[in-house]
Amino acid sequence: MTLLPRSSIKALMLGILVITACSTGTSNQAGPPLAGCKSGTSLVTFWTSHTPPDSDSLKRIVDAYNSQSSVGCVKMVQVPGSETDIAKLTTAVRSGTGPDVYMLDRFTVAERAAAGVLEDLSQFGASSLSSNYLDFAWAEANFKSKPYALPFDTDTRALYYRKDLLQAAGVDISALDPAKGPPTIDTIRTMANKVNKKDSSGKYTQIGFVPWFEQGWHYTWGFVYGGSFFDKSACKVTPTDPKIVQAFTDMFTNWSKALGVSQVQTFLSTYAPPNLPAQQNAFLLGKVAFMVSGDWVLGNIATYTPNLQYGVTYIPVPNQGDQPATWAGGWSMVIPKGAKQSKAGFDFMKYIAGEPGQRQYTKDSQHTPTIKALDQDASLFAGGHAFFQKQLSAAHSRPPLPVGAFYWDQLSTAQDAAVRNTTAPATALAAAASATNAKLQQYCPLP
Amino acid sequence: MQSQRGAALIAAPRVHLTASEWRQLRTAAPFVLPWVIGFFAFTLYPIIYSLYLSFQSYSGFGDAVPVGFANYKHMFTDPLFFKSLYNTAYYTLLAVPIGLVVAIVLAMLMNQNVREVAIYRAAFYLPSILPLFALTFIFIVLLNPGFGLVNFFLGLFHVPTINWLGDPSWTKVSVVILAQLGAGGPALIFLASLRAVPTELYESARLEGAGPLRRFWHITVPLITPVILYDLLYGTILGLQIFTPAYILVGGTSGGAAYTAGPDNSLLFYVFYLYKNAFQYSDMGYASAMAWVLFLISIVLALLIMRWSQYWVHYEGA
Repeated sequence: MTLLPRSSIKALMLGILVITACSTGTSNQAGPPLAGCKSGTSLVTFWTSHTPPDSDSLKRIVDAYNSQSSVGCVKMVQVPGSETDIAKLTTAVRSGTGPDVYMLDRFTVAERAAAGVLEDLSQFGASSLSSNYLDFAWAEANFKSKPYALPFDTDTRALYYRKDLLQAAGVDISALDPAKGPPTIDTIRTMANKVNKKDSSGKYTQIGFVPWFEQGWHYTWGFVYGGSFFDKSACKVTPTDPKIVQAFTDMFTNWSKALGVSQVQTFLSTYAPPNLPAQQNAFLLGKVAFMVSGDWVLGNIATYTPNLQYGVTYIPVPNQGDQPATWAGGWSMVIPKGAKQSKAGFDFMKYIAGEPGQRQYTKDSQHTPTIKALDQDASLFAGGHAFFQKQLSAAHSRPPLPVGAFYWDQLSTAQDAAVRNTTAPATALAAAASATNAKLQQYCPLP
Repeated sequence: MQSQRGAALIAAPRVHLTASEWRQLRTAAPFVLPWVIGFFAFTLYPIIYSLYLSFQSYSGFGDAVPVGFANYKHMFTDPLFFKSLYNTAYYTLLAVPIGLVVAIVLAMLMNQNVREVAIYRAAFYLPSILPLFALTFIFIVLLNPGFGLVNFFLGLFHVPTINWLGDPSWTKVSVVILAQLGAGGPALIFLASLRAVPTELYESARLEGAGPLRRFWHITVPLITPVILYDLLYGTILGLQIFTPAYILVGGTSGGAAYTAGPDNSLLFYVFYLYKNAFQYSDMGYASAMAWVLFLISIVLALLIMRWSQYWVHYEGA
């Protein structure tokens, strides 16, 4: 093998240098950083892990901002991630290539702020915006009395029911009228059981109600049963609250046992496998008659199954006369540490998490806004959306803990054990409590 | 010529280069340098840094707080640590031997003396170059207990419905099956070694009256043992690091399940749990300690396999 002559190597290297120099030289031109922006604006990178249809709405808001802003020009990038998984963000921030604005699940703001991932927003005057937002949402966006996020959307959960499936099974659905207050769990069970169908091999092809399907989480049923998940004064999580244990026993362990533990799992694996697109939801396809889920499903139904005969009522309660319960979640906008365009980024945050952005997002996606002024705008809540919005004032929210993601995973593991009937709820929840409290200790006392 | 010089370099640390060799080295150095810098910056430095971090409490941001051996001690009281270790051992013990057999069988199929063998080779190798992400997504559909082709096929033989991804006793088996779609890579290496077996040996064995099975066991297998050893070592080390399929299968959202790493955490593999600690629970210290424990386990296993191999690996000419 012969080496290249030295002269050609030099020529090659020189060539590479020239190309590199030329390619970096072009970025200094005047004019807008992106098409659709104004000249002289700063390029702001905005990351979200949302997918369609919600991300389509976000893009519309970004475009609207870009067309009118003389400060920022936002480039929206869809990145991998989830409510509790921000691996992409943390690695990028550490290597100095993070975004200027990130869309973060609001209940993890305290956790990420404690870990040092987020910029304190009081330097941009965020504190003065507090009165614009619903109290619980603003509280979630703060850690140690400092704002680390601007609240974006919120949502509440309710019970969806398929009128067609229930009526075909001969169920009188008048008891599901929200005007009559929340139905009891026994009422729903009786109705649901009439809808259950099996094929010749004994496999379910239709199930009335699987309480843990979609948004029937540990938190959902725990709140419905009146449980408390966190004791602030003792700085301890309290999933072993007898009310939560009862909720797990009734809604997971016993319900699963009654349907047949492995049969109901096979049903869910068939009709609700992992990573299923929203349009293939088992409720939309008529495989389940009841589903606990959030207001965003209204948007999915309108898009994918506009002729669906369905109704919405309160999540069922254990006893006749119990107060209805639900919980509110939602997302927020944050500035990660090391953001290069934090000022312009905050300008964009004020827009997207402010009135214009939230108005658009509410219209597009049927999520609920966290801006007080919009919350009172009846024109935003068409049809079933008003029911969700009305529940907001009494909604619970998850404790914003510095170990919130860990606690969620621990509760989910306990829920899974209860559903599978492998561990008694009390034991599974005790394990969740001890693991979480061990991790929480280092942050105590919490302000 | 080149290899002789390489051997000389290893044997004698003091080397006298001639002027032209120095010139060659000077020219070559800039070409090698990017790799060397990359190795130091992106491999060696993180390895050493993670050892340091394993003795710290560190979220990835702000200041690290020294905690001594606390991260290592925590493993002994962490049930999920043992669960992840068990899942990983289970997977590796199942996937490595099965992978070995599948790769050898594939290689033998690719080695058939027929005209259209090139088509077979391409077909068998094709799944190995598909992105694992796409493969996994297809797999979710294939394994659907109600509509999946796999259960449909098994149903023809009256096998009862298997809930591949929803039943904790089948989830790891599913990942093992998925891993076999990547057997094309090792199969190519086996193919090369099969073709290196001298045909005279087969001919004389045939003359002596040895049947195909006997020829396989007494000629083919002994002569490809070095590659079997390679596959065993490589497979074990990769098996211990299994992550991607589990992450794709259960890392996303699921309307029907609350689990975070498969039903009953049955797909919580070691590296998956390490990843969760690092990036979901912001506990870089614990994650680093876990990485080092895995490193030690890998070394011990590799040494054991090497020692064991003395009894069955046959090196030609040795």
